[in-house]
Amino acid sequence: MSLVRKLAIDRQDILGTVQGFLRSILTLEDIAVVLAPRRLAEKSVVMPALITQPDCLSDADPLAPAFFLNAAQMMSRLTRRPSGQKIAVVLRPCEIRAFIELVKFKQGALEDVLIIGLDCLGAYPNTVYRRFAAADPDGSTLRFFFAALSGVSETVEGMELASACRVCEHPFPEGADIAIGFMGISPLDYLLVQGQTPKADAYLAQVKLEPVAIPAGRGDAVASRVSSRVQARDAMISRTHEATGTPEKLAAYLTGCINCYNCRNACPICYCRECVFCTDVFDHEPFQYLQKAGRSGSLKLPADTVLYHLTRLVHMSTSCVGCGQCSNACPNDIPVMELFRATARYSQKAFEYEPGRSVAEPPPMSVFKEHEFADVVGLKGKT
Amino acid sequence: MNPEAGEILVVGGGVSGMQASLELAETGHDVMLVERAPYLGGLVSQLDHQFPSNHCGMCRMLPMLHRDSGEQSCLRKGLRHDRIHIRLSTDVTAVEGEPGNFRVSLRKAASCVDPIQCIGCGACVKVCPVETPDDFNAGLSMRKAIFQAAPFNMLNSYRIDPAACTRCGACVSACPTGAIHLTDADRGAFRILVVDDEQIVRDSTAEWLIEEGFAVEKAASGLQALDLLGRSSYHLMLLDIKMPGMDGVEVLKKAKDIAPGITVIMMTAYATVETAIEAMKSGAVEYLIKPFDPEMLLSMADKHYQAFVEAADEKITAGAIVLTGGAALYDPSGDPRNTLEYGVLPQVVTSLEFERMLSPAGPCKGLLLRADGKPVSRIAWIQCVGSRDLQLGADYCSSICCMISIKEALLAREVSGENLRADIFFTDMRVCGKGFHRYKELAESAGHIRFIRGRVHSAIPEAVSGDLQIRYVSLSGIEKEESYDLIVLAIGQRPHPDMPRLAERYGFSLNASGFAESLPFSPSETHRAGIFMAGSFSGLKDIRESVIQASAAAVNASRTMSVLSKSFPQHLDTKDIPPFPDVSREPSRVLAAICSCDAALDVCMDAASVVQRLRQDPAVQDVLFFNHLCAGQDRESLIQEIRQRHPNRLLTASCASCADIFQEVAVAAGMDPRLSVTADIRMPVLCAMSSSKALDTAAKMQQCADLMNSAISEGLVRVKHADAVKPSETAVTARALVAGAGIAGMTAALAIADHGYPVDVVERSDRVGGNLNWIHHTLDGHDVQPYLEEIRQKVESHPRIQVYTRAQVMGVWGEAGHFYTTVAGPDNSVMQFEHGSVILATGGAEASTSLYGHGTNPAVLTQKELETALHSDALASRELSSVVMIQCVGSREAPRNYCSRVCCQTAVKQALALKSQYPDVRIYVLYRDMMLYGFSESAYTRARREGVVFIPYSLDQKPEVVPAETGACVRVFDPVSDRRLEIETDIVVLATGIVPAFTSDDGDIFGVERDPDRFFMEADAKWRPVDAMKTGVFGCGIVNAPLTISETVASAQAAAMRALRILTRTTLASSRITAVVRHSLCSRCQLCIAACPYQARVLDTEADQIRVNAAMCQGCGACASICPNSAAVVEGFSMPQLFEMIDIAVQ
Repeated sequence: MSLVRKLAIDRQDILGTVQGFLRSILTLEDIAVVLAPRRLAEKSVVMPALITQPDCLSDADPLAPAFFLNAAQMMSRLTRRPSGQKIAVVLRPCEIRAFIELVKFKQGALEDVLIIGLDCLGAYPNTVYRRFAAADPDGSTLRFFFAALSGVSETVEGMELASACRVCEHPFPEGADIAIGFMGISPLDYLLVQGQTPKADAYLAQVKLEPVAIPAGRGDAVASRVSSRVQARDAMISRTHEATGTPEKLAAYLTGCINCYNCRNACPICYCRECVFCTDVFDHEPFQYLQKAGRSGSLKLPADTVLYHLTRLVHMSTSCVGCGQCSNACPNDIPVMELFRATARYSQKAFEYEPGRSVAEPPPMSVFKEHEFADVVGLKGKT
Repeated sequence: MNPEAGEILVVGGGVSGMQASLELAETGHDVMLVERAPYLGGLVSQLDHQFPSNHCGMCRMLPMLHRDSGEQSCLRKGLRHDRIHIRLSTDVTAVEGEPGNFRVSLRKAASCVDPIQCIGCGACVKVCPVETPDDFNAGLSMRKAIFQAAPFNMLNSYRIDPAACTRCGACVSACPTGAIHLTDADRGAFRILVVDDEQIVRDSTAEWLIEEGFAVEKAASGLQALDLLGRSSYHLMLLDIKMPGMDGVEVLKKAKDIAPGITVIMMTAYATVETAIEAMKSGAVEYLIKPFDPEMLLSMADKHYQAFVEAADEKITAGAIVLTGGAALYDPSGDPRNTLEYGVLPQVVTSLEFERMLSPAGPCKGLLLRADGKPVSRIAWIQCVGSRDLQLGADYCSSICCMISIKEALLAREVSGENLRADIFFTDMRVCGKGFHRYKELAESAGHIRFIRGRVHSAIPEAVSGDLQIRYVSLSGIEKEESYDLIVLAIGQRPHPDMPRLAERYGFSLNASGFAESLPFSPSETHRAGIFMAGSFSGLKDIRESVIQASAAAVNASRTMSVLSKSFPQHLDTKDIPPFPDVSREPSRVLAAICSCDAALDVCMDAASVVQRLRQDPAVQDVLFFNHLCAGQDRESLIQEIRQRHPNRLLTASCASCADIFQEVAVAAGMDPRLSVTADIRMPVLCAMSSSKALDTAAKMQQCADLMNSAISEGLVRVKHADAVKPSETAVTARALVAGAGIAGMTAALAIADHGYPVDVVERSDRVGGNLNWIHHTLDGHDVQPYLEEIRQKVESHPRIQVYTRAQVMGVWGEAGHFYTTVAGPDNSVMQFEHGSVILATGGAEASTSLYGHGTNPAVLTQKELETALHSDALASRELSSVVMIQCVGSREAPRNYCSRVCCQTAVKQALALKSQYPDVRIYVLYRDMMLYGFSESAYTRARREGVVFIPYSLDQKPEVVPAETGACVRVFDPVSDRRLEIETDIVVLATGIVPAFTSDDGDIFGVERDPDRFFMEADAKWRPVDAMKTGVFGCGIVNAPLTISETVASAQAAAMRALRILTRTTLASSRITAVVRHSLCSRCQLCIAACPYQARVLDTEADQIRVNAAMCQGCGACASICPNSAAVVEGFSMPQLFEMIDIAVQ
């Protein structure tokens, strides 16, 4: 483990201190741009923005409980082909993990990227956030910060966090180059800055920060937060299995689906240029609809909604990082995230695969092992 | 090829015969493949699983390039290839002539069941009253006289066993399609008409003939005879001369007008002999003087019957012949000792019988039950039954039984579960093939198979349980007992009983054991020019060796044709498809043509529902029914219908074997053949009919109708979505690269160059010959140096071979058919070439060692050092009184955990040589298993007779060598005398084994992986033993696996054959079913590249596209299944197609 440094809080302004840190990164010689969540003109919206002017960082707000989209998708756009410039990016842990998955799918590259991650307190669904921030957008972030940091409840000011965040067991930026920590310490004094890769150490050496020992309380804080989340996750998964365990139940679960494909667009992992559901593959002949309806007496339209979700589960569940943007995007409040995480739990376990853990782990479907799942593929007993 | 040279005849349709045929067909030869049995596959068709995968992999023999020239399906069902003409149930009856012009007669045994008419319903089997042992199940179960010869062989499925059939005719009346013709069998096919006015003569003559099996009809007068002749055909007429009304001579003249081909024998009384002789002028062939006895009549009838049969023989001309007649297996009941009471105790079975017991299609449906119904939980395998047995005159090892037993033991545990006890009693486990030793170790460690060294001498059944108590003697002479449920005898080889007759017919010679003998150093050549052999014909071989030798025999047969015709095979052009109108933008308009196979399918086809189902789809334009679509009038009318109705796609429903014909029909009618699909409606019928479900006939018929409907609907889906994509092609560079100029490289180069293609041979050292440079003679006593000299001269004087010594291949880039190769020569020179195929023959060397004091103790030599010393003066000055040889030095244990195959033979060879040079020398060979497989066993026997002492040692008690004043002292534990020995010896000779000259850099250069023992990794250990996974690259000789010289020659010739399959073509065209990329959809995630097992996909970084090498792509679909949005698709398996097919299947 490399050196842990201390980012002292400047005039009790935690957000300002973080902005200051980003500014010092941006002013480093070979960093051309910082991609960070930025509070926009419409103050109750926080979106990722490419920032090249250090001044513009004063609107950067990586601590806001806003998560309008998973920025891994944006990182894919920025790094699919070399730009010749280096980007520092502030990402949530689930965004980092999604981005690592995209890198494995050759939809992005880590070479010219410096990832900065922060401990994550979770976020509200988009509509809830706008209500939460409406009254006092500028003060809302720190109000949330202290409430969420001290509380054990996943409800702040009577408003529930996004379902995905409530069951998230990865609130720490394990895959970041630079991790900024505040849980389990006294964040009004300083934040922890830790280089987690050799690349990060090279940059941090240029930013003058004092070394510090990790305070004793942090370990416990981390552990207790994760364990309560794991409990919540497991309860959610068993509820979801109960609700979707048969084809009929699954169909009922997805009844509200109108094939708007919002969940797919919001999914950071769904990387296909053109989804198979938008291609000629699903361009059925009119007589085929009628034939199908005739066969079973009734055919729900739009057709292929269950097949659509099943297909996405097959394609993506091993890489699902549980960011919850699918549920966030659903106009009919289908608990899509729950279905994906419940499925992913088993598909990921089957291959002992954890998405986003390491770029060196190949996606399970791209690896062929002859003697795998002997009982599933009918080779039981073969050596 | 030169049409005057005719085709190549392959006799025997086992694995070797099929492999040889495929090799020859794929290099442009027409092949006649003759098999005596009614199915292909030989012995292997009775074995369901093969090591090392313990699956079946027979289909891996099928062509991977130009796959469309043959059927890509299970070989147990049958083989189909454009250039292979298959004759089943057929014997070769005569061979004469010389290379380039062998004249061969073929005789087909009648099956009595018309394969076109037979729908496989099995009604005949139900009514047949005769039961007889089923050969296919090694006699373990019974079958009827009308039967299916092999369970998987779907076509020509039923036939009548003439020896068992009583001609009762029950099957004839039971057959719903009239497919059975009993008279076809033997003499029943020979129709005789007896014409005599005297009833007593007429009747008795007819009766005698009928009793002999002839088909006989009678006529009482000339008029009646002529009437019969007008109505049906006869082969022979026995005609009385003196008859009232029309006399015999007049009848004869008129009969010859009606049936000119008929043979007529005049029957005459003594008085009219003159007339009979006169009648001969009018066309009678002989006469019989009345009264005649039956013998006279019958011998005459038989003579004409034989002539009739011979006339019906198929006569072909063959330029060369490949014999792959296989071998017989030993029958232990023939052993007068038979101490294990095979044939008496049902608990004692042979290994072949056990294979059938394991088979789900076998007598106990794969459940491993004993004849008395008891589930089997303890099995003993007893090795060397009928082999290595001097009392039986079997001074040979049967080579393959050790591995068969290990495999059977593992399979038995798979079937019966982990509690099954599987013990193998052996003398030496001869696991000396590639990967065998590892397989055995795995069987021991993971499979819990027990290996017990000892000879079993008797088996005694326990009265109540029926279990067998066996007694055996362990190595140390202690008698032990064990109890088993079942004993499996690992039976060895015997030459086929016909071998002497075959040797005479074809003119090859037999070895002392009665197997075919090959030329020294060339196992596929017989002593007769133009006649080659492969497989177990020259002694039992496993699949890998059979496949290699079959390829070698094929290349030699092909070479015979090339050299004789002097016109080297011109590059084969792929079938040129003329341009057709582009209909890709038009909506599909399908014409469906349904064939009833001469009304055979009418009984189970529901025409109305076929029409109704098809009409549901607006893409169907017309539905037409035909009776015999594949030929004649119906074929012509289909062409007319297509021309008139202008469909843009053609769906035919018929037998799968007719698919080619309908492609031609499409072309004739101006349609793109790629837009024609044939739905197989015969196979579903056969499946439904032969299903074991107890259904009444009506229910079965309904099931047939449903399955046919589904098959037709599926065909419709396929044709509706069919795309007329032109296969892409790679131009072939007709030049080969051979890396390595040892005997393997030189042999491969000669085989290719003799076919007319230039070859570049690149050799690292400064001389050709490799290891043969230091080997002087073989175990068989053949001199190596003259042979090497002969090959060296041939290579160096060959106009098409260029040898580069002190050179090294630095890069092989590109793909099958077109590689760019870089060769570094002496003095930093660099040469660039283009090659179509690449053969890796870089060989190997004796492993170095520092064990047992080698390198420090001058008395310790390696086998190679001994060979050198024996042929120089180094040893001559010394008086040798004692030599110790230690086998398996640094071998068969980590890190070199393999057997080098040749060291035991070498040790025996050197021991015999030392004995002849120093008659009094004492020789001790310390070994783990003496690997004297095949006929080399006899040398082992000889060595023991000459007093060479063989002492087994185990890994935990290795010998020790300590330096002594002169020579060394060797300490070893002798399990036979159960004590430690100390042997004072002059020299110690270490067998260190072979290491391949193949680094991981070489692997990268050639695009070839290395196996766990660092040898060349083949695409498939059994079925594609010299192919690399990368198409177009081949590996032979000891870089591939340790081999003897003659085995190396065979593997080199095999590699040459494989390379020629590419070089003989101008282009390599992809098959119809290959993967393509829809670039507009592709996200370049490259998962497909990782998923492709054939390395057929690359990312073209310049174009930013995924490219597929269509020739290398095997259409397996791994890319299509990993691609999330169908940007990777396999032609003919588009998603809409598959969706519709699923709909049909679940309907």
